[in-house]
Amino acid sequence: MERLGVFLQSKQYSLKVYETTVGEEEKFLSFFEANHILFKDHLIILRGEVSDRIRAYLTSKSLHFLENVTLPEGRPRRELAKELALEKTKQEVKEKMLQSELSKLTNRLENNLTVLDKMIRSGQELSIEGDLLLLNRVNSGATLSITGNLIITQVVEGAIRCSGQFMLLTASPKANIIFHGLEINNSYLEDKLNRVELKNNEVVITPVLKKDINWA
Amino acid sequence: MGIVIAVISGKGGVGKTTAVANVGLGIAQQGKRCIVLDFDIGQRNLDMILGLENRVVYDMIHVMDGDASLQQALIRSKVDNNLYFLAASQSKDKSVLDSEKIEKLVRNLKKEFDFVILDAPAGIESGYEHTIEFADKAIVVVNPEVSSIRDSDRAIGILDSKSQRVKEGKEVGKYLIINRIVPEMVRSGQMLRSEDILDILDIKLLGKVPEDRGVIDASNQGKPVILNKDSLAGAAYKRIASRLCGEDIKMVDIESEGGGLFKKLTGMFK
Repeated sequence: MERLGVFLQSKQYSLKVYETTVGEEEKFLSFFEANHILFKDHLIILRGEVSDRIRAYLTSKSLHFLENVTLPEGRPRRELAKELALEKTKQEVKEKMLQSELSKLTNRLENNLTVLDKMIRSGQELSIEGDLLLLNRVNSGATLSITGNLIITQVVEGAIRCSGQFMLLTASPKANIIFHGLEINNSYLEDKLNRVELKNNEVVITPVLKKDINWA
Repeated sequence: MGIVIAVISGKGGVGKTTAVANVGLGIAQQGKRCIVLDFDIGQRNLDMILGLENRVVYDMIHVMDGDASLQQALIRSKVDNNLYFLAASQSKDKSVLDSEKIEKLVRNLKKEFDFVILDAPAGIESGYEHTIEFADKAIVVVNPEVSSIRDSDRAIGILDSKSQRVKEGKEVGKYLIINRIVPEMVRSGQMLRSEDILDILDIKLLGKVPEDRGVIDASNQGKPVILNKDSLAGAAYKRIASRLCGEDIKMVDIESEGGGLFKKLTGMFK
């Protein structure tokens, strides 16, 4: 007896349930006359007074039905979809929050992005429409003008004019940086990676990384 | 077919002409045929540093204009038979230079010599642009100081945009000589370190030359310092010349190791 569980044969089903309350008999029958095909694969649960005529009719159409039973955990489909959507949104928000500051900013660089791995030498003047990701130095005496966002992974010793939403710069004590017409005080750019952005018409400089950066 | 090397710096007074004289002589001493050309039209110096000032009859402009043949204008060095010199005009100015004539001259010299070394004028005007126009390689001479580095950076930028090789889609090899290094000052942090200079300029290091008072005397006497066997700068130029001739010579860390020797040497001139 104690090993009964082993001998139990069981199966699980998921099935569609159509729940309805029987009001006026004639209305109910005319509705089913028109739509009974749709309920061929459903289990119909009837609430309220169920007459013999209804029972006979449903049986004649080979429809499966139960009267006045409560199903466990039965929830309307629309509610379920809502719940699933909510769960998905939560997951997405969580994933987004897990992304690092850097990758979030990189994701914002999408329109008209130029990627350059070229040293900007003294006397060179580079003007770029849109965003720029520069993987090399800007030497003393060089000028870089960018209309969009700017990320530079190496030291800047020249001049930078940027009017995008943000800049991401390494510590650059010798640079001359003008962001939206405002000169940036280099002493604020002292961390390995600094974010400079415009928030409510004010320039905000935030340290992003204090350690050495491994760009590989 | 020889190679054409332009020696450039951007800033004046960093030792460009001294480097040309010493590297040229060093290459000649290795048994290679070498010619050095002074491209500083109107302000020639190389003849004095090589000790050949009284031998100049015809200059580069005479050859370009067809007033003299190359054979007439070439001056052979007194110290080494492999070294030749072609003088700049002292009376004309840079505006007489013309791309076509330069190309013809350089092409002819390439046939005759293993190394054609061009001494560029300081600055980045037309004279400089003409010097680098037909160069295969460039040697950049800097002093360990910010103004020299920035000017060289500018000169390299112009080289990378205006030379004939770049226009053909090829690259101009660029090599760095850091001249007049004072080891004590580098050690105490008063002078730029070679690593920092290489970071900024991002070109290959050819050699480091220590500050050497003997260089001034050598220039005045027209005997390049490479001839002085006791000179540290001379030894450095010798290594540079060997590297240019294809020898694999280890870079000497003159900043840390040379201290004692260097003091001894400066002591000699006190």
